[in-house]
Order: sequence, then structure tokens, then C-alpha cells
Amino acid sequence: MQRDWTAPPANGLGLRLHQLRKDFGPRTVLHGIDVDVRPGEFLAIVGRSGCGKSTLLRLLAGLESPTSGQLRLDDAPAGTRRDDVRIMFQEARLLPWRTVLQNVQLGLAAGDGAARARDALAQVGLADRAGDWPSVLSGGQRQRVALARALVHRPRLLLLDEPLGALDALTRIEMQRLIESVWRELRFTAVLVTHDVAEAVALADRVLLVEDGRVALDERVGLARPRAHGSAAFAEIEGRVLARVLKETAQDFGGQARPRLVA
Amino acid sequence: MANAAPSANWRAIAPWIVPLLILLGWEASSRAGWLSTRILPEPLAVGTAFWGLLVSGTLVHDVAISTGRALAGLAVGGGLGLVLGLLTGTFRSAETLLDTTLQMIRNVPALALIPLVILWFGIDESAKLFLVAIGVFFPIYLNTYHGIRAVDAGLVEMARSYGLQGWPLYREVILPGALPSILVGLRFSLGLMWVLLIVAETISAQSGIGYMTMNAREFLQTDVVLVGVLLYALLGKLADLVARGLERRLLRWNPAYLGVPA
Repeated sequence: MQRDWTAPPANGLGLRLHQLRKDFGPRTVLHGIDVDVRPGEFLAIVGRSGCGKSTLLRLLAGLESPTSGQLRLDDAPAGTRRDDVRIMFQEARLLPWRTVLQNVQLGLAAGDGAARARDALAQVGLADRAGDWPSVLSGGQRQRVALARALVHRPRLLLLDEPLGALDALTRIEMQRLIESVWRELRFTAVLVTHDVAEAVALADRVLLVEDGRVALDERVGLARPRAHGSAAFAEIEGRVLARVLKETAQDFGGQARPRLVA
Repeated sequence: MANAAPSANWRAIAPWIVPLLILLGWEASSRAGWLSTRILPEPLAVGTAFWGLLVSGTLVHDVAISTGRALAGLAVGGGLGLVLGLLTGTFRSAETLLDTTLQMIRNVPALALIPLVILWFGIDESAKLFLVAIGVFFPIYLNTYHGIRAVDAGLVEMARSYGLQGWPLYREVILPGALPSILVGLRFSLGLMWVLLIVAETISAQSGIGYMTMNAREFLQTDVVLVGVLLYALLGKLADLVARGLERRLLRWNPAYLGVPA
């Protein structure tokens, strides 16, 4: 199978966030975020619901604009929609009236679009479902089509907004492996938002914990890939991040720390 | 289902059992003399009248005239409803400007306009066209408007993030998303289309199915009146079949429209 559209390997975009702030009306969702992401790095953003992690991702995607602060993608100011930035949502958001193949082709020029879309489908293991309607696919298959739809644009930055949140445990692990393998092959920069700490540690080079719109923890994950969930080093990092998340939870109860919850 | 094949046959036959029984009962009552031919002639007489009209060519002529009027009214009223619905559904400013006015007009029954229509257009073709167009306008307008408004905002956001805007966004996402609703509007309109045409043709016409039946009433040809009534039933059913066919063709991606018996 020809896959020359992936070559030369797309370089990841470098991200530079400086004092990034986002308000929705009187409510401040992000209070000055400072983060640098290396090209090709896999960053996971974890945090509890409503901590601002999805807003941060939407800023990176250009779906929202920051209230103040700077956001640069490879030293170009962000803000406009870019063809080398693609986002996967929590729901697959496939067009139900288009076939699987047509969905992957969305936004591609007519010429070699179909061939490229077929290649991308093959990459996620769904080449044989090209002619099907999305309504007959399972949840995991729909997310794989959504992944193919993002990959076909050769993104240099892939944003993942809890795309595995609605999947069952086994499909989830399968998808994690798929995402890791295409990331290793194509070397784009990946930013994954999730509230599953184990998923973040399994996939990311670096785990960022966001609490109340601030970066509360920035943890490097130096484990060799592919990572085994059961290993002691894995468990130790997962435990450290989890402890930080839960301590914050404990303080929420009227300031009464509940040390029991701290692992 | 265990016995799929017999059930498919059954589904094809079953809808016609009741009409057939009614027909047989009617024929039997007429033959037994329970029904006067002035009130209800026997089905056979209706069939003979039908055949006679068919052979003489008046039937084809009248049906063609009526169908032409119905479709012209549908094209004008439905087309206008579609365009305005797309406009108010897509642009807030158009909604603010037009929707209140249209909602007020909607609450006037089309048939209440008949005296006014006669004063404006007299009793010629434009009067009938106007009545049908007014009647079919609103179902299509309302359903188009709501269809556009109800398009999944998540899909629109996704498509925008994939670089679609303007006409491609409209063609790929907004129109297909609104289509199920637009087709519902079309089905309502097709039903109303015949109702309004019957009324318009009964009031004043020199041709068409309505004229044929009113003429026959003057000469006490109850059988011909019945031919007219049955024609309307058949044409109404035909219009519904066309609408369903369109739904099955255009909405075949939607599991709700797969395998619906026509």
C-alpha cells in the first residue's frame, strides 16, 4: 500500500503559551497559563471537570480566542484556523449523511482526496468500512474514523478532547495503543485532555495538572514505550499525580483537609 | 423474525384487505337495494363511469389540468417557503425582520381568504394558484426554518474547524442536517395542496376534477361525482408515495428511514 502522503514525516508544531488567560463574562476560566511544548511532544492535560482543561484545548484549536496573554504555534501567533492543527472531540462528530470515506475526505481537495482518505482509513484499520454509514459503526469505530479524518490532513498538532471518554474499557485501551502508534509514526505534537490519570501516564511524555485555571503540576513521564500499566514506575507516577488531584478535592470540603483521601 | 418471507407478503397484502371488504360490502348493499343509486351508485357503475370518462378523454384532460394547477401552486408556494425558511433559519437578521410577520399571516386560514382572493383575482387560474401556494407555503417554511435551526451545532463547529465555510459548509452540513425536517414539511404540503385545490376548483372552474364533479352534481350523476372523489384519494395517495420515496432516497443514511413500508 502506498503511503507516500505521510512522507516526509510531518514535524510537530512547537507551542508557547505565555500568561494565557480566558474569561467567560465575569468568570475567569484560565488564570495566566505558562507552558512550552516541544515539537513532537505528547502532552496530557488532566484535571477535574470544570478546571479549564477543555477551554485550554479549544484555545489551542482556535475555537476560542484568549482574553489576554500570548499563544504561539511555531512562533506564529495563533488565533486563526490552521490546516495543520486538527482536533478530535469527545463525540466522533461524523456527518451521518456521508459515508465513512466521505467523512474522512471532509475538507480535502477533490483530486487525490479519495486515495488519501482510503490510506488514512487503512491506517486506523477500517479500510473495509469505507462505504458504510456512520450509524452502523460502534462507538470505538466512529472514533477511529474521526482519527482518520484528522490524520488525513497530516496535522502537525493533534488536539484530543477526551476522545476516549465514552468508550468501554477494552476499546479504550485499543484506541490508546492506536493513537500512540500513529503518533510514534508521524511525530506530530499531541495534546490530550483527559480526566483519566492512568491514560495520561500511559500516553504522554509529560502530564500537566490543571486546577482552577492554573497549572498545578507539570510531571515528566520518562518511561519507555510501550508502557505496561502494571509496572512499579508507572504506578508511582500515576499515584503521585492522583494524590495531587485528590488532595485538592479534599480541601474542597469547607477547607477541612481529609488526609484519608491522600494516597 | 422467524418467518420473514410470509410476513413480507402479508405486509404487501394486508393494507388492501379493508378497502376490498368495504368495496364488496358496498356492492352487495347496492345489489340488495339497501342503497339508492341517487345516494351511492354501486361500485360497478362507478367503474363504468370511470371507464367512459377515460375513453372520452375528458378524465385525462381534467386530471392533467388539476395536477398542473396543484404542482404550479406547490412550486410557487413551496419554493417561496423553502427560500424564506432557509433565509430566516440561517440569518438572525432575516429572522428578526420577517418571522413575526410570517407567524401572524400563518394564523389566518388560507380558506378564509377566499372572498378576498375572488375580489383580487376574479375566478380565473391565478386565484387557484394563489390559494394553493398560500396553503403549501407555511408547512415548508416552518419546517425548513426549524430544520436549519436544529442542525447539530457540534457538527457545524467540527466542519468549521476542518476549514469548511460559506457554501461548502451549507452543502455538506447545514442542508443535509435540515433535510429530514424539510421533507416532513413537504409531506404536509402535499396533503394540503389537494385540499386547497379541491376547494378552489369547487368554487369556480371551467375544467379540472373539481369542475367535473360540480358539473356532474348539477346533472345528478352521482357516479361521476364518486369518480372525482376517488380520484382525489388516489392522487393524494400518489403524492404521499412520492414524498415517502424522496425520504427513502434522500435520507437513506438515517436508520429511522430504512425498511419503512411505503
